[in-house]
Amino acid sequence: MAILRTDNITMKFGGLTAVSNLKINLEENQIVGLIGPNGAGKTTAFNMITGVYLPTEGKVFYKDMDITRKKPHEITQFGIARTFQNIRLFKELTVLDNVFVANHLRLKSNWVSSVIKTPRYITKEKEMHIKSLELLEKVGLIHVKDEDSYSLPYGMQRRLEIARALATDPKVLLLDEPAAGMNPQESQDLMGFIARIRDDFNLTILMIEHHMQVVMGVCEKIYVLDYGITIAEGNPFEIQNNQKVIEAYLGVD
Amino acid sequence: MSLTIFMQQLVNAASLGSLYALLAIGYTMVYGILRLINFAHGDVFMLSTYFAFYAMTSFLLPWYISFAIAIILTILFGTVLERGAYRPLRNSPRISIMISAIAASFLIQNLAVVFFGGIPKAFPSVPIFSKIIQISGVSSSSISVIIPIVTILVLFILGYIINQTKMGMAMRAVSKDYEAARLMGINVNTVISFTFGIGSALAAIGGVMWGLKYPQLIPLMGLMPGLKCFIAAVVGGIGNIKGAVIGGFILGFGEIMIVAVSVYMPYDLSGYRDAFAFVLLIAILLLKPDGIMGKSSVEKV
Amino acid sequence: MKEKTLDTISWKWWLKNLFTNKNSLYTIIAIIVTLIIIGVLNKTLDNYQIRILNLCAIYIILALSMNLINGFVGLFSLGHAGFMAVGAYTCALLTMSPEVKQMNFFLKPMVPWLANVQVSFPTGVLMAGIMAALAGAIIGAPVLRLKDDYLAIATLGFAEIIRIVFTNLQSITNGALGLKGLPNTVNVWWTWGIAIATIIFMILLIHGSYGKAFKAIREDEIAAEAMGIGLFKHKMMAFIIGSFFAGIGGALLGHLMGTIDPLMFRFLLTFNIVLIVVFGGIGSITGNVIAAVIVTIMMEVLRVLDGRMDFGFIEIQGIPGLRMVVFSIMLMAVILFWQRGLMGTKEFSWAWLKRVSRRMVFRTKDC
Repeated sequence: MAILRTDNITMKFGGLTAVSNLKINLEENQIVGLIGPNGAGKTTAFNMITGVYLPTEGKVFYKDMDITRKKPHEITQFGIARTFQNIRLFKELTVLDNVFVANHLRLKSNWVSSVIKTPRYITKEKEMHIKSLELLEKVGLIHVKDEDSYSLPYGMQRRLEIARALATDPKVLLLDEPAAGMNPQESQDLMGFIARIRDDFNLTILMIEHHMQVVMGVCEKIYVLDYGITIAEGNPFEIQNNQKVIEAYLGVD
Repeated sequence: MSLTIFMQQLVNAASLGSLYALLAIGYTMVYGILRLINFAHGDVFMLSTYFAFYAMTSFLLPWYISFAIAIILTILFGTVLERGAYRPLRNSPRISIMISAIAASFLIQNLAVVFFGGIPKAFPSVPIFSKIIQISGVSSSSISVIIPIVTILVLFILGYIINQTKMGMAMRAVSKDYEAARLMGINVNTVISFTFGIGSALAAIGGVMWGLKYPQLIPLMGLMPGLKCFIAAVVGGIGNIKGAVIGGFILGFGEIMIVAVSVYMPYDLSGYRDAFAFVLLIAILLLKPDGIMGKSSVEKV
Repeated sequence: MKEKTLDTISWKWWLKNLFTNKNSLYTIIAIIVTLIIIGVLNKTLDNYQIRILNLCAIYIILALSMNLINGFVGLFSLGHAGFMAVGAYTCALLTMSPEVKQMNFFLKPMVPWLANVQVSFPTGVLMAGIMAALAGAIIGAPVLRLKDDYLAIATLGFAEIIRIVFTNLQSITNGALGLKGLPNTVNVWWTWGIAIATIIFMILLIHGSYGKAFKAIREDEIAAEAMGIGLFKHKMMAFIIGSFFAGIGGALLGHLMGTIDPLMFRFLLTFNIVLIVVFGGIGSITGNVIAAVIVTIMMEVLRVLDGRMDFGFIEIQGIPGLRMVVFSIMLMAVILFWQRGLMGTKEFSWAWLKRVSRRMVFRTKDC
């Protein structure tokens, strides 16, 4: 059974069709890549899946449940978390609080008990605290846990975004250009990291990426978008040898 | 309601709507370019009436010279306001700029209390504007008829400036894409000053006509019309000049009609006249947040 | 605290922790010290000064309630005066005796179902908060979908509508005439008691999971939503809680003044609170508390500008309005040159105090 499936989703902005008839199928525990030149509609696809945009046509299914019209926070509660291309951390919060607050959605207490700090609430808060620390440990950010998140170097901010997404207890993780701005060595490390979190957290991952090295190295299946249209899908080997893909990337005269 | 009374109210509505429209354009243009609610715009309008008042009463100048002086002084004031209160904050969070605008508004109001005094002043009456005109039984003061005519004239001139001149083109460019316009070599600061200048000129034209029609001046007189005209701009679709005019007329018409109809109602509604704008605002924000003429926009993620 | 297994936390532990945890102990001591100071001031100050002392506490409540909405959740709401009006009128109408009501409503009699109601002051204050919270819920439901300037102008609009409705509901609010002779029950214990309770409430709320969720919304709505934080639910929550405290503040203010009328609740009142919040740092509880006290006292001191000044050898005629000019210039100056206010989003805390004092000790040792 596909854990996440899009059924011909299409997004139109006025006269412009950003994505047309996109069909994605994610099997459990897969790592899948979504690639394509700039402006191909990859982030728009993410926004449709996560409920930021309502698709003009088509439906999104999570474990056979129609989540097309759900709000972004509901979709996260179901178990689909994401990161952002242009990092969106909670700037004035500390690194630890960035992760901590991503646990908030699993908090079962109401606000009154958070004010009077009932034993039940304190227990829960402690759990969240410990879990956040463990996550920071895993992504190697434990030494900067009390810094304000905006003061971190770029690469660490990316890792913090991933840690924050993991804190929501996702089943499916959507990564929007996790290797952007990284050098080859860092990208290499990232590849290993992505594979590791997939195993550690039992995740299914869909990622947008420009670094071919990363995509080809870690993805089991790849979708290629160009001007909103899916021009190819297949395993890394098939994609590398696909004529249309080569044309889209190199351009044809 | 008899037809005569209705026609009479219609003339009143047209002149009030015109005044609102002139003021609303100032809001919509500034918002279109800077994404800023110029809270002090209503107070700039208030100042213009006082300028005209003092030119006529203290300096005993004829009305046409007084009005010209008032308009020029108001334009100067509007551009100075932008430099002092808004330019230093151009790159600050919007909440800061808005607070600065509110503070500027209160500063002007209170300076007016200090300099002009808190006691209401009577705007001098000018004979040719206070004549009573009678057309087939409908009687009205000449100013009520002159206001819409002047407004239409002003709108034509404004349309020319925006659509036909180089400065107008620059203004449109800056409101479409601030950064791109700057990179294309448009002097954004000049354009913004010019926008404030035009906005203030329209406010001043509205202001002196307001003084002629409603001849009681107080330092707080700009507050309510200011808020209402921003609402008119939102109702019409903010950033859109045609929308501001439409919004202004809807507001003017609605207010006059509430008072007019109230006479025939079991419960006196005229006290709720000032609430009309706010109810309209909330209705439009919920039904069509981009306003009557506005285009919907998608937030980039 | 030694490693304690998670499931053994009980109410008994909770109570013990309250008195053994150093920070909460410090806080309790600080509260007692504050109350002693208030008590001493209450005995030594004259009536006018005690009035200012009361005003300080009321402005603390009001500033914190606005700060929750504007500072922590980042919603730019300008409707405070409206909620205060709801609170002030609710409490006044519920606590005034039937005789006083009858004297007030000489133009048009009061509606019978309200004319003979009289409840105690605490009940009245609580009802004021509840009614304001209700108003917050009714207004918040439609407007909290809006953002930035639109939200600001819509909340401002609703506050004006409330004021206009109160001016016109002659048989309930006595219209433009206002209400005179509110029971003179407000004293420093009421105002400061509620102010301290408000401060503690806000600190606990903000440090908890919900408070952090509020801040996340302020920092980035889209990211917050992507982390599973429901925007509408949390915004409503903050808006309603803020309105509740604004209503209580309004009730206390009304009873302190003794008379209320719709003109009191103009936008100017909201503006006063905005000044305090900006001055204290948008998003800092302690900054707001300090700013509330400073600004309230300063506003009273500046009153001399409006009245006559007598320097013995020269007498300057006061200029009405000058006080508000100085006041507006102050706000402009803060926002132009000192955007983050006194404290920014930072807080004064025991941990911070410890750090600073330790640093000072080290420095003196070095010398």
